[in-house]
Amino acid sequence: MKQFTYTITDPVGIHARPAGILVKAVKPFQSTCKITKGEKTVDLRKLMALMGMGVKCGDTVEVTIEGPDEDTAAETIEKFFKDNL
Amino acid sequence: MDYRKCAQEIYDLVGKRDNLVSAAHCATRLRLVTNDNSKVNIKKLEDVDGVKGVFSSNGQLQIILGTGTVNKVYDEFLSISGMTAATKADVKAAAAAKQPLPFRMVKALGDVFVPILPAIVAAGLLMGILNGLVLIWPDLEKSSTYEILSMFSNAAFTFLPIIVAVSAARVFGGNIFLGAVIGMIMVHPSLLNAWNVAAELEAGHQIPQADVWFGLYKINMTGYQGHVIPVIISVWFMCFLEKRLHKIVPEMIDLFVTPLVTVLVTGYLTLTIFGPVFAQLEEWVLVGIQWIIKIPYGIGAAIAGAVYPLTVVCGIHHMYNTVEARMLSVPGGYNTWMPIASSANFAQGAACFAVAVKSKDKKFKSLAMPSSFSAFLGITEPAIFGVNLRLMKPLICGMIGGAVGAAVGSMLGIGATAYGVTGLFGFLTASDFIWQYAIMLAVSFVISFTLSFILHKDKPKEEEAEEAPELPEITCEKGKVYAPIKGNVIASAQIPDETFAAGVLGEGVGIEPELGVVYAPFDGEISSTTDTKHAIGISSPDGLELLIHVGVNTVAMNGDGFELFVAEGDTVKAGQKLMTFDIDKIKAAGYSTTTAVLVTNSDDYAGLDIAEGGCSPLDCVITVKE
Repeated sequence: MKQFTYTITDPVGIHARPAGILVKAVKPFQSTCKITKGEKTVDLRKLMALMGMGVKCGDTVEVTIEGPDEDTAAETIEKFFKDNL
Repeated sequence: MDYRKCAQEIYDLVGKRDNLVSAAHCATRLRLVTNDNSKVNIKKLEDVDGVKGVFSSNGQLQIILGTGTVNKVYDEFLSISGMTAATKADVKAAAAAKQPLPFRMVKALGDVFVPILPAIVAAGLLMGILNGLVLIWPDLEKSSTYEILSMFSNAAFTFLPIIVAVSAARVFGGNIFLGAVIGMIMVHPSLLNAWNVAAELEAGHQIPQADVWFGLYKINMTGYQGHVIPVIISVWFMCFLEKRLHKIVPEMIDLFVTPLVTVLVTGYLTLTIFGPVFAQLEEWVLVGIQWIIKIPYGIGAAIAGAVYPLTVVCGIHHMYNTVEARMLSVPGGYNTWMPIASSANFAQGAACFAVAVKSKDKKFKSLAMPSSFSAFLGITEPAIFGVNLRLMKPLICGMIGGAVGAAVGSMLGIGATAYGVTGLFGFLTASDFIWQYAIMLAVSFVISFTLSFILHKDKPKEEEAEEAPELPEITCEKGKVYAPIKGNVIASAQIPDETFAAGVLGEGVGIEPELGVVYAPFDGEISSTTDTKHAIGISSPDGLELLIHVGVNTVAMNGDGFELFVAEGDTVKAGQKLMTFDIDKIKAAGYSTTTAVLVTNSDDYAGLDIAEGGCSPLDCVITVKE
């Protein structure tokens, strides 16, 4: 299991567009990817659920990745967060 | 119930086969396109046994029959009329084509202008005030303050083509920066400034020319400062070309081939064809106007006063300086063009002012009021493009007022001793005719204001009140998405945003909204809402997930202008009101109102069928294929 935390710096947070791109980035991996904000945890593959979390600028989220390709997945997803969010 | 009898009665009442273009049906309604809707007896149709309601919308006649009934009546209808079944998309295409072209063009012009109005209102007012101050106090012109302020006031007009091009590119769905480049080409400093052409000719200088199309002919190397229409035409073409290229150019080389070809082709066509053709038309209009104002007894002045605002729309009005300069160059000559222009401008201002006074729509009021003041000072673009042309009636009322005023002015023999200012500041140049000038302005103001005040009605609000409550209940079929918004459905690839168009968030449609109300597109559960209120996720019991994202980049509006009526986890019925949004506010903020309606789990399906064209709420717009 891999895990990292990240504090969102994008001024508009994870709204529709970044959420869509994020889900697209996660899709190719086999591992289960979950994102947690406060008490709420959702599947990173579920666009609606992700948008529903309403992650805003300054929020800290925790991303958990578990599965056969968790190493590459974690690396790619963490990079995605740093580059885009 | 006798389906055959019902179908036969409908057939007779809509004017039989001769009046029918096509027929289709959806879950509840029989949808007909007729040649002439006025031949349809709607009152009697409503009385036909089985018909629950009749209305016509977007050029379609819709007869509500209800689920289970409509398909049977439809079959009978086809057999009676001998028509073949049309898909709903066919019906909609036939209906959309019925919208008259000038109507669509005026709408496009309005869409382009609304977002840029603040810029030209600011410039217009500043320019009017400066012009006036200089006449009162001529020494001001020599001061450096004037020089700086004057630069501020004419910046927006000097570079108007760039602003217009950016806005037009946004409206027509092209890349706005490429649009900006086209605008920049048209006012490039290497071209002779259009405002200086008259002065150059007067000074006996040659207008520089260039060979084009391998020496086929020559064009004048003059810019398009202050122009509007040729810019919009060029950018429209650019967007058309760009979108085409995106489709056919392989993705690998798309990034450098498409912009390069787009700019090259559009730029060359603009300078060699669109621009010169337009410049030639302008020339003819100018000659025509000079001929018209020679007609005596105020008739010529009346005609010129009436058409003047139309020439402002085309951006030809700056050419009149040539005419005025010529009039003044005769010893003892008066500038008799000024009263005509003044009367026309003042009348447009008055028509706009009437709208400002009467309208109950706060935003419209706040736009119309300063626009009319600017017009009274002689700068009419904000009033014409922002208000009068969009509503059409005030423009025509203003033309009538302007025509009468100009005729009065001509008969009173008003003449000015300079040119460049109109409206209230015109008193300073028409100082030999103060009373006559006041009478003329009063006449054009009163006529235009009165007509416009009587005829103006706040339209969109009424429509909303009328349409919002009366959505019939429908039974949802599995895998179908019903239109959440009234408007025009386009393929999602046409949405003016790369992320949506590329299907990153899923496949679906875009809707160009006519009314800012979002209804539930099927029975389901609200799966997500956002604090910025501009997007709603909803999922159906059979697993279809849909995102309704109102406008493009509207996240940046932070919920201003949006109102949500549901919360996450709510269960909703198809047709239930979910959200309202303010179309004008989105436009004013400079964003596209095109709303993405996307099946976010479209990967789970074999594909989607979409129905493009005009839609009313609860028309089926997407059908997923298992």
